[in-house]
Amino acid sequence: MGTRPGLSLQMLAWMVLGEWRAQPGRALAAVLAIAVGVGLGLAVHLVNRSALDEFAGAVRSVSGAADLQIQAASRTGFDENLYPQLARMEGVASASPLVELDARIEGGERLTLLGLDPLRAFSVTPNLLGRPIAGDAAGGVTTADALFDQEVITLSAAALQQSGRQVGERVQVNAAGQSAEFRIVGVLEGISGDRSLGVIDIAAAQWRFEQLGRLQRIDLRLAPGADRRSVEASVRALLPAEAALVTPQSEMRRTESLSRAYRVNLQMLALVALLTGGFLVYSAQSLSVVRRRPQFALLRVLGLPARGMLHQVLIEGAVLGLIGAALGVALGAGLAELALRVLGGDLGGGYFSGGRPPLAFTPLAALVIFGLGVTIALLGSLLPALQAERTPAAVALKSGSGEAADVGGLRPPWISLGLLAAGGVAALGPPVGGVPLFGYGAIALILAGGVGAMPWLARGLLSPLRNLNHPPPSIALAIARLWGAPRQAAVALSGIVASTSLMVAMAVMVTSFRGSVEEWLTQILPADLYMRLEPGLALDPAAQSRLSAAPQAAAVEFRQSFALRLNPDLPPIQVSARGRPGAGAGENLPSAGATAERDGIPVWISEPMARLYKLSPGDTLVLPVAPDAGPEVFVAGVWRDYSNQFGALLMDQAAYSALTGDPDRAEASITLAPGVSPAAAIPALRARLPPALAAGADFAEPREIRAIALRIFDRSFAVTYALEAIAILVGLAGVATTFSAQTLARRKEFGMLRHVGVQRGEIVGMLAAEGALLGVVGALAGLTLGVVMSQVLIHVVNPQSFNWTMETRLPWALMATLGVALVATSAGAAVLAGRGALSNTAVQAVREDW
Amino acid sequence: MIGRRALAALIGAGLVLPSSRVFAQGREAVVFAPVTPGRRLIFPADHGAHPAFRTEWWYVTGWLEDRGQALGFQITFFRVRTGADPRNPSAFSPRQIIFAHAAISDPALGRLSHAQRIAREGFGLAQAKVGDMDLILDDWRLRRDRSGVLQARAGGETFTLALALAPTQPVLRQGQAGFSRKGPGPDQASYYYSLPHLKVSGVLTRDGVRREVTGEAWLDQEWSSTLLDARAVGWDWVALNLEDGGALTAFEVRDAAGKAVWAGGSLRTATGDLSIFGPQDVRFTTRRRWSSPRTGARYPIARDVEVRSTGGTRVWRLEPLFDDQELDSRPIGPVYWEGAVRAPGARGYLELTGYDAPLAL
Amino acid sequence: MVAGSSLPSPPLLITDLAKSVPGGRVLFAGLNLCMAPGEIVAIMGESGVGKSTLLNLFAGLDQADRGRIEIDGVDLAALNEEARTGLRRDRIGFVFQAFHILPHLTLAQNVALPLVLARQRQAHALAEANLMLGQVGLPGRGGDFPAQVSGGEMQRIALARALVHSPALVLADEPTGNLDPQTAETILTLLCDRVRASGAAAVIVTHSERAAAAADRVLTLTAQGLAVHGD
Repeated sequence: MGTRPGLSLQMLAWMVLGEWRAQPGRALAAVLAIAVGVGLGLAVHLVNRSALDEFAGAVRSVSGAADLQIQAASRTGFDENLYPQLARMEGVASASPLVELDARIEGGERLTLLGLDPLRAFSVTPNLLGRPIAGDAAGGVTTADALFDQEVITLSAAALQQSGRQVGERVQVNAAGQSAEFRIVGVLEGISGDRSLGVIDIAAAQWRFEQLGRLQRIDLRLAPGADRRSVEASVRALLPAEAALVTPQSEMRRTESLSRAYRVNLQMLALVALLTGGFLVYSAQSLSVVRRRPQFALLRVLGLPARGMLHQVLIEGAVLGLIGAALGVALGAGLAELALRVLGGDLGGGYFSGGRPPLAFTPLAALVIFGLGVTIALLGSLLPALQAERTPAAVALKSGSGEAADVGGLRPPWISLGLLAAGGVAALGPPVGGVPLFGYGAIALILAGGVGAMPWLARGLLSPLRNLNHPPPSIALAIARLWGAPRQAAVALSGIVASTSLMVAMAVMVTSFRGSVEEWLTQILPADLYMRLEPGLALDPAAQSRLSAAPQAAAVEFRQSFALRLNPDLPPIQVSARGRPGAGAGENLPSAGATAERDGIPVWISEPMARLYKLSPGDTLVLPVAPDAGPEVFVAGVWRDYSNQFGALLMDQAAYSALTGDPDRAEASITLAPGVSPAAAIPALRARLPPALAAGADFAEPREIRAIALRIFDRSFAVTYALEAIAILVGLAGVATTFSAQTLARRKEFGMLRHVGVQRGEIVGMLAAEGALLGVVGALAGLTLGVVMSQVLIHVVNPQSFNWTMETRLPWALMATLGVALVATSAGAAVLAGRGALSNTAVQAVREDW
Repeated sequence: MIGRRALAALIGAGLVLPSSRVFAQGREAVVFAPVTPGRRLIFPADHGAHPAFRTEWWYVTGWLEDRGQALGFQITFFRVRTGADPRNPSAFSPRQIIFAHAAISDPALGRLSHAQRIAREGFGLAQAKVGDMDLILDDWRLRRDRSGVLQARAGGETFTLALALAPTQPVLRQGQAGFSRKGPGPDQASYYYSLPHLKVSGVLTRDGVRREVTGEAWLDQEWSSTLLDARAVGWDWVALNLEDGGALTAFEVRDAAGKAVWAGGSLRTATGDLSIFGPQDVRFTTRRRWSSPRTGARYPIARDVEVRSTGGTRVWRLEPLFDDQELDSRPIGPVYWEGAVRAPGARGYLELTGYDAPLAL
Repeated sequence: MVAGSSLPSPPLLITDLAKSVPGGRVLFAGLNLCMAPGEIVAIMGESGVGKSTLLNLFAGLDQADRGRIEIDGVDLAALNEEARTGLRRDRIGFVFQAFHILPHLTLAQNVALPLVLARQRQAHALAEANLMLGQVGLPGRGGDFPAQVSGGEMQRIALARALVHSPALVLADEPTGNLDPQTAETILTLLCDRVRASGAAAVIVTHSERAAAAADRVLTLTAQGLAVHGD
């Protein structure tokens, strides 16, 4: 007999191309859905990659090409005598000591000020030098000034631009509460575009900014052939507590951890769009398979093996996926380019300061996401393909129609319930490498379970309607059809339920987050007026007293912070002095849990810090601010904080001053005397500041700060909203095309109804009712699933990625709008398609086989 | 010799003093010690550093025998005092800069192997000790031990030198008992002494292979605060250990036209008779030039050196060990020719500067 | 198998065939039929008596409860699903009441389907199909789409498709059921002519006495078996 199962190529070409010629809209919708998903996924990835490359590049250019780096745990640095010890260490070829300070050029923006020894930097981090140390005599003379002159500064291009000065002009630089004047002698050509950096001589930095005897950093270059591990081990053995060894790996980890959670979230959102595309492929292919039952039956009768159907549908899905994914890669590259221009490298997340990095196209990532697109299209086609394979040839051939009711009762949705249960279990899983993979898995499982339970849910929701007394015929017909064929309804709804539920989940999460932030801002900003000095400026105790003594102020509370690195792999925490003199730092803090009392120095840690460092009230920790370990403090309480994702620690004023030896303060919150308006108080308070500080003091009222904070919040979620809107548009487009297709396939039914005397208008009414009912079912399902999934986002994904908790707040208006939009779209699409189907004469419709 | 190689290096390295324009601004000026005639050189104290003066160097050149093969070598340490504000209490204050070169001239290689170091003084990582010769620059060192032997260690990726240099003759004070004029101006001078006929033994490691070597070397130490004459664009200098135990020094400072702005030198015989040469007593003539394929500079590498002393006029016919002994010390120094040369009955080192680019200040 | 036999195998041989519906009602039992090459048999019977089921059994689309069906000497029961599919493809042609012409394929492509399924080259298959279309009275229409043809022409196309791969047996289920009497007459004549010309045997299930009259033998299906029509 020599039978070989499968499709011949030309057969496949005939069937697939013929099908798409017949139904171009549906194929196009599926292709576009995949394209949008792939495009968004790739765009988010590329933008992140580009931003990260840029950021990592900036980090590298500041760290230079150092093999190893010693960094101070805090800005107070470490003893400079570590430098000769490291320089003489076996395996170390060269050591470059640095003073590193947060500084500000008067009239310009912040910059990182590096004090270095150019001769040492030359062999370790040459990119930190203004120019190559001159090779020719003429250049040499110019460079000599910059090389050892104690009164010159070299700026990165960005810092020079921000300073508004020219090379050759003089600038005032503020750092560490000191001020000094330097002449700009050149531009740091080795520093990439956006990095704001100034370089002065290390001796000038120590002298002018009161860092005598202290260093913040030492860069090391290893000798050729040195064993990195043994060098690292000997370096670690030598380090005091206030310094830590940083490798390029840990530096990179820290860079990544800065924005990883945000990036992962966006990436997941993009995948959601892709997933929605997968559901659209599923519904398109399901319909197409149902419609083509007789065709498949004929082919079966004519001698095509059953497996051939499976192959045909799968190959259709693969081709849809290939075209969609290819379009998506192009779309993604374009979107990424656009997003980098419009939104910047962090897509509005606020993690990387103001850069516009160039697009870094990564072919491997493009390939992976391309493959993902094709895979999802294939998965979307798999169920319909299996359905096609199982088509009973004889029955389908006789019925001659694509429509089929769900004969008999529906089996209870055990698989869907199982998936939902698995989702619930997965939500309890821990984060994997700081990413809530189990949380996302839970969302995917809940989504799949929810969509799978749709037929059962649709019938359940429609059951009460069947008992209506004398509904209009169009409504009765609609209910009867939906009740009788819930699987068809579910197919039409799967895409929209997926995208709606995800949209709702995200919206609930963001609303909850925003509400919690708003409430927190009110709690954290109880005073009437806030004052902040520009970086590098500080109020000494005398200035503090003068300010406190102002008659306009009822009470003034000062604040000062510094960054302290507890773990080289994580960004530093912020250590702050807070509270009224005599009162604890924990006064009026938005508490997030229990408190503890014991002897010692109490500190209040933020929720992210508690989670990141696994600390709870009563625990003790050592702050590495002294060569030999530093003081031990205990956690008196945990407070809710949304301002610092990587942890913040508060202590009272006396403890802070004792710990840091720093009596200066840079911020103040002022409770005004009764009857004094902020507008009247600001000039008076400013006048009490020393002249040098008065110009650099910013006053703000709490409502302004709140407004700014919320604006930043909204900006950072703008992309989230946009991605979600796209996902839901894709879903709605899917509903429209699916309904059109289903309606067109029922022309014969309409013809028959017209024959038996149903009015044209009544058929349109029936379709509208069907659409609206489906929309209601979809909206209810989507909203319910969405709220369930939002709980996973709020209680699993967010705490695990950002270490933030929040209280659920439901965005009622948005959910209602969404529901109405869904019902309207469904009804509208059904009616539009119905009008097209009804334009044929009834007789023709009855005689038509297809 | 004032400013000779050191100055060349300093200009290239950008270690010349900041211009007066910068100097003037609210800063405590650095005052360099003047070089005056009549100061007595006292040893071992004058083997040590003289940090009050602007520049100083310790210059060792010589020939080594490596299994019958003749090699040239040089190890030089420089100290430069900068204009850094003396009030700055920072341990990093760049008051003194130490830098050093080392090179091997191997005819089998056909060019120089070269290494260099530079650092500001401090933390014991870079120092020029006062009181006796002890120079440290990271892992390089030049030290006079208690027995008077100089211990030198230097090198880089391609070679390392660890040599003991034992004096066999007394100190040779150049010029007027160590006061050596370098130009027509009375302030254009340095303190300058030499140690010829140092007996060398030690280890040369090249590409991981250790070799015991022996040879003969020459030390110059020179310190000053004064610049060259404004017309000078370069100079030629030669020092020869004569086989009969004598020692010859000759130098010439050139202007842009190649004419001598100043010249000088000395000849000490084996018996210790010392002749000091003035500008009229020394004449360099060129027999052959060599063009560097890298820099395009044309160096007069085969010279005749004619000196006139009480014993009459003598000519040394200098021939290089090989042609390409150009030393490219960029980025921290200039490009010049510094190579092993021989003459009938004599071996030594020749230095030719200012041929790549004029040494404009 | 009849390999080595000198006698030609009958295109259809049925022995003691029985079939019940899932509910348990017996449709028929003890069916016997032997067809000769080139013979046309018409099967009549009341609605619901199982005529279409019988055709499905012949085509290997349904399983009998008992008995034996041989197509062209091959016992269907001895074949697995895949082999039955192959047998259908190679040895059987189908004509349906509802035509089942794929709307998105050209007429020639529709006719060529059995050849393409048998993995013949496309050019050859389309040439054969166009030839076949000429033989059923549609010369030069191979590039048209089904939307452009009438019901009678549809069945001509279906007939061409049933015969294009030279099957041993043609199964026709109410081939004129959807056609007006005059067209039905024309199509029936054409069907019988073309089947006889191709040397295939044919089973026509029909309600139409006129259709039955064109056959060599007319049988009636009852629950007891196949009887000569009129008995």
